[in-house]
Amino acid sequence: MQHYPTNETVDAVVIGTGAGGAPLLARLARAGLKVVALEAGRHWNPARDFSTDERAQDKLFWNDERLSAGNDPLAFGANNSGVGVGGSTLHYTAYTPRAQPDDLRIRSEFGVGEDWPFGFDQIEPYYDEIEQFLGISGPSPYPWGPARQRAYALGPLPINGAGQLMERGCKKMGIRTSPAANAALSAGYYQEGVGHRPACANRGFCQAGCTTGAKASMDVTFIPLAIHHGAEIRPESFVTQLVRNSSGTIAEVVYVRNGQEERQRCRYVFLCAGTIETARLLLINGLANSSGQVGRNLMAHTALQIWGEFEEDVRPYKGIPGALISEDTHRPAGADFVGGYLLQSIGVMPVTYLSQMARGRGLWGQNLKRAASAYNHVAGINILGDCLPYEHNFLELSDEKDVRGLPKPRVYFSNGESEARMTAHADQIMRGIWAAAGARNVWAFPRNAHVIGTCRMGNNPEMAVVNAEGQSFDIPNLFISDNSTFPSALSVNPALTIMALSLRTADRFLDRKKRLEV
Amino acid sequence: MTLKSTTYPEGTVRALLSTNLVTEATRQVLTQRLTTPRQQPKFFSNDEFALLETICDRLIPQTDRPEHVPIANGIDHRLAENKSNGWRYDIMPADGDAFKLGLQGIEESALALFQRPFQQLSGAQQDEVLRAVQGKNAPGKTWDQLPADRFFEELLAEAVENYYSHPLAQEEIGYVGMADVPTWQRIGLDQLEDREPRPL
Repeated sequence: MQHYPTNETVDAVVIGTGAGGAPLLARLARAGLKVVALEAGRHWNPARDFSTDERAQDKLFWNDERLSAGNDPLAFGANNSGVGVGGSTLHYTAYTPRAQPDDLRIRSEFGVGEDWPFGFDQIEPYYDEIEQFLGISGPSPYPWGPARQRAYALGPLPINGAGQLMERGCKKMGIRTSPAANAALSAGYYQEGVGHRPACANRGFCQAGCTTGAKASMDVTFIPLAIHHGAEIRPESFVTQLVRNSSGTIAEVVYVRNGQEERQRCRYVFLCAGTIETARLLLINGLANSSGQVGRNLMAHTALQIWGEFEEDVRPYKGIPGALISEDTHRPAGADFVGGYLLQSIGVMPVTYLSQMARGRGLWGQNLKRAASAYNHVAGINILGDCLPYEHNFLELSDEKDVRGLPKPRVYFSNGESEARMTAHADQIMRGIWAAAGARNVWAFPRNAHVIGTCRMGNNPEMAVVNAEGQSFDIPNLFISDNSTFPSALSVNPALTIMALSLRTADRFLDRKKRLEV
Repeated sequence: MTLKSTTYPEGTVRALLSTNLVTEATRQVLTQRLTTPRQQPKFFSNDEFALLETICDRLIPQTDRPEHVPIANGIDHRLAENKSNGWRYDIMPADGDAFKLGLQGIEESALALFQRPFQQLSGAQQDEVLRAVQGKNAPGKTWDQLPADRFFEELLAEAVENYYSHPLAQEEIGYVGMADVPTWQRIGLDQLEDREPRPL
C-alpha cells in the first residue's frame, strides 16, 4: 500500500471508510489523485479476527457513548454506526433495495418534508454500477420500482425459514413478496482490483461481521479497489480538528493515532463519518454552519419488528437474515401517513433476539427461560419506513466529555404523527401476516433504525449545509458524503444510496476539477 | 397448537468446541468464556456484588444444572473497564452510578416493603420487589433520582446478554450457530444439518 508523508500536501483526505467514504476514495484514487483515508477503527482481517460470537464482535460497533433523549430515544452501538475499516458496512445486514423515484419527492407529493435537489435519474446509473461491482444477489425482474437497465449481478440468495413463513402469510393476505436484493454473494464472484470472493456460507451473522468476504462490506470491495489504485488507508486515526488557512479553506486535518496527535496537509477534505460523527465534528470545530442547520433535520426510519413462534423448526441463525421483501406497502391505498415502507423477513442471532425481548417484553424469571427456549422456533418481520424531519429532532453537543475529552453528542428523537400512524398501519399488517402463517405468542418490538440527516443537502444555503454535489456552502474545499446529507429518510435501507451518492459526489468533483484545470 | 419440546441435550456446544466445525477464533472466545470462573468484583463492593448476584439469580434462574454462569461478573467487568455499549438514556446517570444507585434503591425498597434486606427475603418476596421496580412503583427515595423502569430495563438487558452469550445457556436453547465452518446448506423450515441438536 502507498504511504504519504504527513507533511506532503495530498490531494484529498477522506474521513471515514464506510459506505460514504470508501466508494469515493476508490474513485478519486482511480483518477490519479493522492488520497489518504483516516479511519477511527482498526483494519481487521475477518478470517482471523472475527468469531461467530455476538459479544466478542461488539468491537465492530461505534461504542463511544451517545446520549439518547426525546420520547423515543435511539439505540446506538449495535444499532447504528460502525468502527473499523469498512465502517458500519462491517455490521450492516446487507439489505440493498433501491430507493424509488417518489422517495426523492416527498415534499412535492405530500406537501411536507423535503425533496432531494435532483431526481432518480441522477442516482440510477450509480445503483446499476454498484450492484454489479458488489455482486448484489437479487431477483430479475424485480417486482417494484422502475424497470432496471440490467439484471442483478447474481441470482437471489436461498430463502431461510423466516422468509418461507413470511411468504406463506403474505400469500394468504394477497401481499406480493419477492426474494430481496442483498449485498452478499449467491455464487463466487471476481472483480478486477478486488479479486475473488466466495459464495455466502449462510452463517446469518451479517450484523456481527462476515468472516468469509461474501458480504460486500467496504473492506472487501471498494477499499481493496482504492488501495489497488494507490490510496492510503490510515486506520486507528481519530480526527479531532479541521484546520483552516487564512483564506478560510481547510489546510490540514488533525487526528490522534497511537495517542499522538498528527496532521495531514491536504487540498480537499471529504467528511464521511456518518450522521452523528460528521455533525459532531463540525459542531466541535464550529465549521460549515452559517445556516445553523448542522445537527438539525435528524431522522430515523420507522422499524417496528413483529416476532412470532412457529410449530416448525426455524433455526433463525441460518441464512441471509433479510431473505424476503415486499414493497406493496410503498404507497398503500388510503394511508393516513407520509411516504411508505417496506416489509422484510428477519432471521436473528440469539443474543440480539433475547436482548430485544428483555427490553421489549420485560420478561424475566421462568417466563424469560420459557420464551428463550422457543428461540429455534422464532421468526420476525420488520418494516423500514420513511420519517419526516422535525424541529424537535436534532443533535447537540452535551457538557459531558468522553474518554477523548470531546463532548458527547446528545440526540433528540421523537416519532411524529406520521411515523406513529405508519407504525400502527404496519403493526396491523404484520400481525395479519403472522396470524395467517400460523404464529403464536406474537409480540412487537418498537424501534427506529438508521439515523439520517444532520447535514442536509439542498439548493438554498440558508436551509442546507451542503449543495447538491455534497460541497459545503461555507468552505469550498469541504465535501460531505454519508447519510447525514439525505434531505429525506427514504422508504428503504440507506446503504446502497449512500454508496451511490458517494460515487456521484466523486464524479462531480472530478469533472469540475478537470474543467478548472483545463 | 403447542410447540414441540424445546429442551435440548446437554453438552452439545461443549462437544462442538473441540471439533473443526468451529473456527479457531470462535473456539478461543467461547472456551475462555466457558472456563472463566466466578471472580471477586473489581467495580462493585463485595456487598453490592453479592446483592447483584442474588438479583441476577431471580432474573435468570439457574437451578437445573450444576454449573453456574457468572452473570454479575460480566457486568462488573464492563463497569471496571468503563466500557459503554454506545449509548445511554439521557435521563439516566452514567452507567456505573446508575448501577450503584439502583442496587441501593432495591435494598431500600426491600426494607420498605418487607422490613428486611433483599438477600434475606424469600424468592417470592424478592420477585415482588423486582416487579415493583420494573413497574415503577417501588417505594424508596432513590427512585426519585433514578428512573426505576429504565434502570430495570438496562439491568435485565445486560444480564440477558451476558447469560445467553455463554455456551451453557446456548446449549439450553439449542443454539449451535457457532459451528459454521462447513457452511449451512439446509436452511429452510424443518431442515436440519446433522450437527444441529434435536429437541429431547
